[in-house]
Amino acid sequence: MTYKIPVYDINNEHSLSQTPNFNNKNALMKTDMVYQCEITNIVELTESEKLFQLKIINPIEAKIFSFLPGQFVMVEVPGFGEIPVSISGSTSRRGSVALCIRKVGKVTGILHKLKKGTMLGIRGPFGTHFPMKQMKGSNILLIAGGLGIAPLRAPIYWINEHRSDFENVHILYGVKTPEQILFDFQFDSWRKIYNYDIHVIVENSDKSWQGKTGLITDLFKDISIDVKNTYAIVCGPPAMFKFVCDYLNKQGLAMNQMFISLERRMHCGMGKCCRCMVGSTFTCVDGPVMDFWTVMNLKEAI
Amino acid sequence: MEFSGIPLKKLRAAFFDFTSCEGCQLQILNHEKNLPDFLSLIEIVNFREISSDKRDDYEIAFIEGAVSRKDQIDRLKDIRKKAKLVVSLGTCACYGGVNAIKNNFSIESMVDEVYKENKPETIPVQKISEIISVDLEIPGCPVSKIELEYIILCLALGSVIEKKKYPVCIECKQNMNHCFIDKGSLCFGAITRAGCDSICVNGGLPCYGCRGPSASVNWMSLKNILIDKGITEEEILEKLSLFNSLNEVIKDEN
Amino acid sequence: MLFKTITKENLRTFITNIIKENQTFAPVVVSTDADNNPIYQFKKVDSFEEIKINYTKSYSSIKNFFLPYKEDLSTFHFNENGWEQKINYRVNPRVLFGVRACDINALIKLDQVLMKGSFPHPYYIARRKNTFIIGLDHEPMADCFCQSLDTNEVVHGFDIFLTDIGPKYFMLINSSKAFNLLKNITIEEVKEEDRENYIKEKNRLASLFKSHVDVTGMANLMDIEFESSVWQKWGDKCLSCGSCAMVCPTCYCYTVCEKINLSLKTASKEKMLYSCNLIDFAEVAGGHNFRPKSSDRLKYRYYHQHRGFVESFDESKCVGCNRCQKACPADINPVEVLRDLRKENIK
Repeated sequence: MTYKIPVYDINNEHSLSQTPNFNNKNALMKTDMVYQCEITNIVELTESEKLFQLKIINPIEAKIFSFLPGQFVMVEVPGFGEIPVSISGSTSRRGSVALCIRKVGKVTGILHKLKKGTMLGIRGPFGTHFPMKQMKGSNILLIAGGLGIAPLRAPIYWINEHRSDFENVHILYGVKTPEQILFDFQFDSWRKIYNYDIHVIVENSDKSWQGKTGLITDLFKDISIDVKNTYAIVCGPPAMFKFVCDYLNKQGLAMNQMFISLERRMHCGMGKCCRCMVGSTFTCVDGPVMDFWTVMNLKEAI
Repeated sequence: MEFSGIPLKKLRAAFFDFTSCEGCQLQILNHEKNLPDFLSLIEIVNFREISSDKRDDYEIAFIEGAVSRKDQIDRLKDIRKKAKLVVSLGTCACYGGVNAIKNNFSIESMVDEVYKENKPETIPVQKISEIISVDLEIPGCPVSKIELEYIILCLALGSVIEKKKYPVCIECKQNMNHCFIDKGSLCFGAITRAGCDSICVNGGLPCYGCRGPSASVNWMSLKNILIDKGITEEEILEKLSLFNSLNEVIKDEN
Repeated sequence: MLFKTITKENLRTFITNIIKENQTFAPVVVSTDADNNPIYQFKKVDSFEEIKINYTKSYSSIKNFFLPYKEDLSTFHFNENGWEQKINYRVNPRVLFGVRACDINALIKLDQVLMKGSFPHPYYIARRKNTFIIGLDHEPMADCFCQSLDTNEVVHGFDIFLTDIGPKYFMLINSSKAFNLLKNITIEEVKEEDRENYIKEKNRLASLFKSHVDVTGMANLMDIEFESSVWQKWGDKCLSCGSCAMVCPTCYCYTVCEKINLSLKTASKEKMLYSCNLIDFAEVAGGHNFRPKSSDRLKYRYYHQHRGFVESFDESKCVGCNRCQKACPADINPVEVLRDLRKENIK
């Protein structure tokens, strides 16, 4: 006779012994196990932004890890914390992850102290993506405010790699001051090789600035949009995307042809911690990429 | 030295006591099992309670206690000149602490009451930041050693020190305590910054706010709640001033 | 499910033996409130006599047996080459005795989020599957409103559930684990009079509810009344202390904090249950706060309970236990908040 409750050892579950695949959401897996990565390169973009190139060390993990433009990863700096960062590199370079990180808090502060060769962890990819395949055959309008250019780099690489799938591509980019402009070293190649139409505007210019001064919406005068056959990808602060999308909507661009990437501070990436909830929607699972119609129907999105 | 790719700096630290019970200094020597590791992160060059060494080449000065005598002011200013970083250690240094109760009385009557002869020279109690600029405040009566360890580690690694913004209630409920207010008693846990692991409530005492206000204080609501429980306004204000740490919460009241 | 009966004496023997061989947690008195009512908590018990079998409800919910307030998600071990991450899911079996129907239904809601949806949570599953639950019916307290949320009856999510029908307990047996354990003791087939007594008792218990709230259409009302002054009214009372979420049987949100051990040899990644009422809940990088006002945060808590959760699972997250009011220093009553929204309190 025994009254002992039998032990259930979850470690015996077969799927738990497998390498986690975050694209396989419904599987039981070690959701908190990171892929170890080495920092293979660091590019100092501005005083407060750096571009980190990571390489997933384990070949199995490198093979499993695949993402689509707009998705994000949780970046783990052991001992300091984990932060969500949208991937700003090409989807086709397996095992390689590019992240543009601004120094704003504890974890990003430490990240900015790290040197090439340091080990980090990532989990992911998480969240929704820009529907690049659905956009095939259309004109693309990429609109970024400030650090919003970072998530746009993933769709830009996608377009570059599938350039014949798309018609005209415009980039409208607004920043506060000229020294905050990111990735301008790539603008020439995007223009020349991939035939992009790129417009940059700064809010507060200085003597060195030769370009335009004003708000991002001022750039609309410089381009013509075929509203029937255009998709917009917008990334930036809430006030900015609201202005931009309202304007485009008035021009006749349908709300479901505009895609926005929302920014929230996820703590898990898996719809569990509730920190990134906007109204009743998890930004980490149902976002961060959403069409403008969905965003406008969310309470507290803006 | 390096930790996982991050430069690690062993800091030269000094500990100074002003008007206080020296309990916070004792806290530094607590949590013995971690002391060797703790001491490997800082080099103590001046600490009266543990060593006769008295060097002036410190980078960080930890100040325990409040100011209650004129001569302490010059001493404090001298420390400020020598230290790169000045840290107020404990409630007395951060807010005046229990010492500040004396500010409710005239200096003369207070000295007469306490000392019959050899009456000392004394001035109203001031917190450290009233005299010199302070870079970091670690409140607590006494300070939490675990919190201090975390802060030393952050300083050594050059990492941002994150203060808890939420109130003691979170820790208190996580410790499964029954709310003092539900018992009909006064408690300031709801407006006091967490980080103490609700140690007083765990031990059967209400929170009197030694760690100062949390990042979201709704004083008017708490005051109404306490009055509803039958606690007089006089008692509320008296308890509120115990550590001189919550004064700012009543500023908006009038 | 099997239906049996067990005499009170046999139940005592059964529980006594369970306690002997397993870590068992049951309601005990820990304090008294301002009106001299006892305050109960689930604590580890060493004998049947310690258990307050006629307790009302526990001050904290039982969720922390499944979602501990603090839990290490993983640990990092540093070495010359970098670091290694370790995860430990091991949980020892234990028994909870005396769990209320609303609390079992709360677990079912947590199962939806943490076990059945995307990214199942191994830590939760390990705890859930190692916890043997013996439920117990009770007379509702004056503030219990679980009936309004349809959580006063159990269908699954437990091992054994007992209803006092006089000389014995009517017993629902819902797992093979339970069935095997009960082989050790005499249990009886349900007789005609047991069925009658059971239904009578269930009807009696159902008739005792005094607190009610109408939650039909609440999900849309949350949207329609998003700008309502009701939120300001209750937000003015709210202390943003997070007590409600700590005692709530279904609040599962959390924060993550990493700590480096002073030896610099290891670090832990710790999950801590959080509350959406806390000021920095919706703060993002750079310090922008999407819900800076206490009324925004209070509203969000209700919004998640009665709108967000409904969208995902077609039911409210709230089970109507009213622990949040008991733990709330400001005495905020969810029934009154919802009635205010329905404009039922306007005369």
